[in-house]
Amino acid sequence: MTTTSTQSATPTVIQAKDVVKHFAKRQSLFDRLRKREVFNVPAVDGVSLHMVAGETLGLVGESGCGKSTLGRTLVGLYTTSSGSIELGGKVVGEERTLEERRNVQMVFQDPFSSLNPRMTVGQVLREAITFHKLVPDDKVEERCLELLSLVGLPKDSLDSYPRQFSGGQRQRIGIARSLALEPKILIADEVVSALDVSVQASVVNLLMDLKRDLGLTMLFISHNIAVVRQVSDRIAVMYLGRIVETGTTEEVFNNPSHPYTQLLLSSVPKMTSGSQISKAPSGELQSIKSALVGCRFRSRCPIATPECATTDPMLVQIGSTNHQAACINLK
Amino acid sequence: MNPPLISVQNLTVEIKTGRGLLKAIRGVSFDVNPGDAIGIVGESGSGKSITLKAILDLLPTNARVTGGKIFINGQDVSALKPKARRALLSENCAMIFQDAIAALNPVIKIGDQIAEVPRYRLGKSEEESKNIALTLMAKVGITDGESRYDLYPHQLSGGLRQRVAIAIALSGDPKILFCDEPTTALDVTIQAQVLRLLKELRENSGLGIVFVTHDLAVVNELCDDIKVMYAGKLVETGTVENVFTRPTHPYTFSLLKAAPDPDKAVHRLFTISGEAPNLTQPVTACPFAPRCFAASDQCQSSEPELLPMAQSMSACFHSENHVNWASEDSQKSVAR
Ligand SMILES: Nc1ncnc2c1ncn2[C@@H]1O[C@H](COP(=O)(O)OP(=O)(O)O)[C@@H](O)[C@H]1O
Ligand SMILES: Nc1ncnc2c1ncn2[C@@H]1O[C@H](COP(=O)(O)OP(=O)(O)O)[C@@H](O)[C@H]1O
Ligand SMILES: [Mg+2]
Ligand SMILES: [Mg+2]
Repeated sequence: MTTTSTQSATPTVIQAKDVVKHFAKRQSLFDRLRKREVFNVPAVDGVSLHMVAGETLGLVGESGCGKSTLGRTLVGLYTTSSGSIELGGKVVGEERTLEERRNVQMVFQDPFSSLNPRMTVGQVLREAITFHKLVPDDKVEERCLELLSLVGLPKDSLDSYPRQFSGGQRQRIGIARSLALEPKILIADEVVSALDVSVQASVVNLLMDLKRDLGLTMLFISHNIAVVRQVSDRIAVMYLGRIVETGTTEEVFNNPSHPYTQLLLSSVPKMTSGSQISKAPSGELQSIKSALVGCRFRSRCPIATPECATTDPMLVQIGSTNHQAACINLK
Repeated sequence: MNPPLISVQNLTVEIKTGRGLLKAIRGVSFDVNPGDAIGIVGESGSGKSITLKAILDLLPTNARVTGGKIFINGQDVSALKPKARRALLSENCAMIFQDAIAALNPVIKIGDQIAEVPRYRLGKSEEESKNIALTLMAKVGITDGESRYDLYPHQLSGGLRQRVAIAIALSGDPKILFCDEPTTALDVTIQAQVLRLLKELRENSGLGIVFVTHDLAVVNELCDDIKVMYAGKLVETGTVENVFTRPTHPYTFSLLKAAPDPDKAVHRLFTISGEAPNLTQPVTACPFAPRCFAASDQCQSSEPELLPMAQSMSACFHSENHVNWASEDSQKSVAR
């Protein structure tokens, strides 16, 4: 993995090195009776990435490729199976410090299930603020109102319960709760995926405002490619636990290099008339097991060669700086 | 001239809810002919699914058609006994829903599920039914049908399961396929496969498609005609080409601008503030007016009707002015 020393002007705030996350699958009685081997599938399998202060990294890839697992591992909700995570240049331990936990916050897709239905918005925010003693006691209410205005919620929302809000507003509550902790890094996991286009647009705008006004560093996880393009400075494309391409948003969209990125981008329905989704065959995911040797994408890949079955492709620099793809058949 | 295969005329549907009687559909009319590809768009709650369910006689028990008529092949369905109505429907129409995958029976082999309609409804022999199922599997792009016939749904990927659902829908040889957000839960690569398949079916077999979605780009890829729904009514209808290039209702205009474009990022996305009205209350003004950048006093006077414009139909007092919206909107749109 290339280092970030070239960007010494903006500090790297978070860095993952060769992060692996396995979910231990226990062999059930049924498996044992059938003498069935149980496969320990790594959901994240050797991911390295970094984010510099104030940037938004978009993480895309189809469902099950490991985006949420990576996000949760970065936040510390999961421990790494191997590899390391650095915050501000310091490797975090198994147990994160309070400060480390506060600095990386996550917002989830489903605003409803991630909010306690029995707590008012005010209670949710106050709890976050006072737990970390972020402002003096007599400033807590002021801070709550400030947070409401920051995320565009009405001033009188503090005494209302989550169910009294619409989907888009609930997502704002979730964002306000995360911001209450004054994090440096926000991991946004499919935050607009459940919202209607009209509501989605305003939440996307809000995230872009927050990024600009608060200098937040953001990992924006989404399967909605159009939204990712809108919010991200850089893109990482994930396939079966690995990052297969990364680069600036413009680079990746204008010059997608990995065959999977090409397939993904050409599958996105377009708004312009006359455009047609790709005619290319898009094959199905093979069994995870066979995919673990060689290139994971090869059975769906239009340019696969016999070597792809045996060689594990590494991310290599292509074309311009900071654009990398993991494919052995790139010209 | 043949009557349209389906003609919906001034349909109204009411739903009993805890908050009162909801006027969910408030006068919707459209025709569907074989080979049509119609996209119905609108935000959630606008009445898209209830419209399809009313046509397909699948309304929930607390909902009732309270006005208007539905004709299938020229026959008024309200004049038919339930059994005759069902027969007429199943002869002509089929559907796939967003949770089509969940609707598959987990303990029946996929081949047998596809063969069920030919075997039990169309009365074919077991062998014939199996052959029909195999043909359908090939048609929807399930390769290697012989060996996959005996698989169970959980043994298939999401894309293949959606294909099985489509094969089942096609097994009664429908003329029109109603699709309610069938690709919303799918990954884009798989969505692309399903859209491609639907396109092929239409081109090769003249299958008519009514496709409900909140994703305008999907309509752009698949459909010739679009109907925009808002608060239980159609507010704009026309060809996809006309409506996408020259929207004549502010809601359509706003939706098109709010959708992020995968081909380019913009400084800010256009937003639509506010919410759709509560339809348990009577509608006396344009229901979109509170959210509309073009609204004026006139919009409070009454609810505008869907009227023909040069190229499309629109329900807005200010449609005539649509050429100027592109320059006006940015100043008037609310910041968030
Ligand atoms: N808590 C968990 N226990 C076991 N397996 C999991 C768990 N969370 C995710 N997985 C598996 O890890 C893989 C990646 O999942 P996920 O990170 O949720 O993908 P994505 O967010 O890209 O859709 C999937 O195969 C999923 O089934
Ligand atoms: N079973 C039901 N009981 C009560 N209200 C319902 C029911 N189904 C739908 N509705 C209401 O009817 C309206 C239209 O719903 P629907 O047709 O499902 O919208 P959509 O456009 O999202 O498909 C909404 O206000 C919805 O809440
Ligand atoms: Mg996820
Ligand atoms: Mg619906």
